[in-house]
Amino acid sequence: MPITITRRHLLAGSAAALALPAFARAQGAVKPRLTVISQWSAGSDGAAITALGKKFEEKGGIWQHTPVPGFTTEMMNKLRAQIMAGDPPACSQLKGPEIAAWSKIAPTVDLDALVAAAGYEKVVAPDLARLHKPGGKWISLPLQIYSTNMLFLSKRAMDKAKADKIPVTWADFNGLAEKMKAGGVTYPIANGGTHPDDGQKFEAAFAGISPASYRAAIMNLDEKALKGPEITAAFAQVRKIADWMDPNVGAQHFSTNLKRFVEGEMGMMIQGGWAQGVLRNAGFKFEDFIIAPGPSDNTKPVFLLNADAFIFWRRSEPDLQAGQTLMAQLVMDPAIQTMYSQITGSIPVRTDVDLAGAGWSDGQRRTAAALKDAVANNQALLSLAHNMAQENGMTAAMIDVITEYVKNKTISPEGGVARLSDAVEAAR
Amino acid sequence: MTDAVSAVPRPGRPAISGVVRRLPEYLMIWVPLLLSAGHLVSFALWTIWISFTPSTLVPVSGWVGLRNYTAVLATRNWQVAFKNLLLFGSAFVLLSLVAGLMLAILLDQRIRGENVLRTIFLYPLAVSFVVTGTVWSWLLNPGLGIEKLVRDFGWTSFRFDWLVDRDMAIWTIVVAAVWQSSGFAMALFLAGLRSVDADLVKAAQIDGAGPFRMYLRVILPTLWPITITVVVIQLQFAISTFDLVRALTDGGPGIATQLPALVVYDLMFQRGLLGRGAAAAVLMLMILLAVLLPYAAWRYFERRRARHA
Repeated sequence: MPITITRRHLLAGSAAALALPAFARAQGAVKPRLTVISQWSAGSDGAAITALGKKFEEKGGIWQHTPVPGFTTEMMNKLRAQIMAGDPPACSQLKGPEIAAWSKIAPTVDLDALVAAAGYEKVVAPDLARLHKPGGKWISLPLQIYSTNMLFLSKRAMDKAKADKIPVTWADFNGLAEKMKAGGVTYPIANGGTHPDDGQKFEAAFAGISPASYRAAIMNLDEKALKGPEITAAFAQVRKIADWMDPNVGAQHFSTNLKRFVEGEMGMMIQGGWAQGVLRNAGFKFEDFIIAPGPSDNTKPVFLLNADAFIFWRRSEPDLQAGQTLMAQLVMDPAIQTMYSQITGSIPVRTDVDLAGAGWSDGQRRTAAALKDAVANNQALLSLAHNMAQENGMTAAMIDVITEYVKNKTISPEGGVARLSDAVEAAR
Repeated sequence: MTDAVSAVPRPGRPAISGVVRRLPEYLMIWVPLLLSAGHLVSFALWTIWISFTPSTLVPVSGWVGLRNYTAVLATRNWQVAFKNLLLFGSAFVLLSLVAGLMLAILLDQRIRGENVLRTIFLYPLAVSFVVTGTVWSWLLNPGLGIEKLVRDFGWTSFRFDWLVDRDMAIWTIVVAAVWQSSGFAMALFLAGLRSVDADLVKAAQIDGAGPFRMYLRVILPTLWPITITVVVIQLQFAISTFDLVRALTDGGPGIATQLPALVVYDLMFQRGLLGRGAAAAVLMLMILLAVLLPYAAWRYFERRRARHA
């Protein structure tokens, strides 16, 4: 077939050739945009996500964050409504096994390529990684980590007890509590009365007594482990803790009693790492308290993980897709994780971030070291009280039993074990 | 058709213009009424439907029969909540009735400053239940509130720790709820007392009835329609109590003060079990109907009797 080039063809061809790069550029350089919903609106949480948004904008993106203040469940109600309307956000806060549950109701984004490119999997605790890739594919990314079983010691209460050693095992812990009581500390354990608070006492006791048994019973719901001697010992330890708590606390938040804790009227507090931020915000100094990993009977730190994360929902718009890519890269970036954790008081998800710098506290350094140790010894576990080990329905069924046990001293440890395994069976 | 129109005689005109004239009134009443009734009924039906589906995080179709109901009825949470509702409902209604009536009778003695007192007693009703719950949670806290106050005055063995006592905690909710709503009962009773036929009172006075007999035999019997109204209003409030408990005890200590509305909220929005939550909500509706249907029937027979008389 002879090819005849007319002037008109030539003109059209050259115009197309000229236009092509511009077209390609327009395709590749669509301005990334991200719609995000989270519960973080105020305080250090609000400040941290605002800072993340600033970084997103610096990279040329459009940041559209809609905070839903209140409990996580209220954020979930908004997410549910948007998913049902067929308009999910490009990215939303979600954590723990809820990621797997929610990923079944709407399509998500496969992040495997991005995660592989960043070499991210090697630097994340294995149990944590598993939660964020239900079905074997990364669809969500953890953002920051807290430990739920940190031990806070009141300096003044330690002085009253004439003690200076940080308890390592539960026996040490019980000994110190006795000493504090004898030394005039009215309530050796500081506490709040909310359900997660009670849950934290239990999980700290159980994981500290036997990490392996905790993994089997609480994370894998193994029937034998749920009735084993270790869990009975954990309930017995919780009874001791409950006896040292102020019975008048009612349903108060733990932060209500921080003043009494610092002043030495209360001695020890088993709380999440976030309590450091709360103490500092309340105007107390680092000299007022000591932070250490929670008691562990095998003396190696046990780390109960609580991690905030983002899940990415599938969208067809190119600008939102570009935004998701940019967001994923940012969330995995060590510099971004450093910035975020320094604002909120958490520790980075990446185990390879150096916490020697001035922006970090001793508590954060100790927490990060504990996580590293715990991962090495397979003692990094998922928190029950903060919805990491089980879906919300199962968690709530278990926490109901635990909170009733803490408040009702007529239930024996064996009775607690029986009730817990019954509740698990009923909720399965 | 034109024949029919033209056949309409003149007298039809005023009727039509009457309808047109009253159209705004009809619109005012019927549109909101139908909208809210439709809203209420459609959502109630939808909830009933969901309660028979396997819905968890989002509503899905499917049929599981009564499984959600049996599951809810078998949980300790629901059993505790139901028992608490019986206890709280009866104690609260009875006490607020008695307190309201006493206040109303005392205020009815033509005392000075009645308006001020009436406002004071009615004011708790203007306070949100969340505020009531929070304030009472501090007052009743043994370490900070009433118990500590009395002990600081010197009575060191004084104990008032219901809030943190599993068996007594439900009574703190009764106390706070009675405080909040006895003023409402008082207002209704006072209106009733003021509308008692003066001739009746005079006649009783002439017959030589003392004040005690007067109230017992003459005035109170005329109040019983109001009493029933108060009971029904308070009962439906008791059944749907949520915010007060949430702020005062949050269902604690442990799960000792759970109430059905708390269980519904917990199942639906915290555990992500829509089907079970809907089943619990339908159970609540049935409890409510058990109160409201007899009341409606009573109203119906009452009206029929009045018409026949």
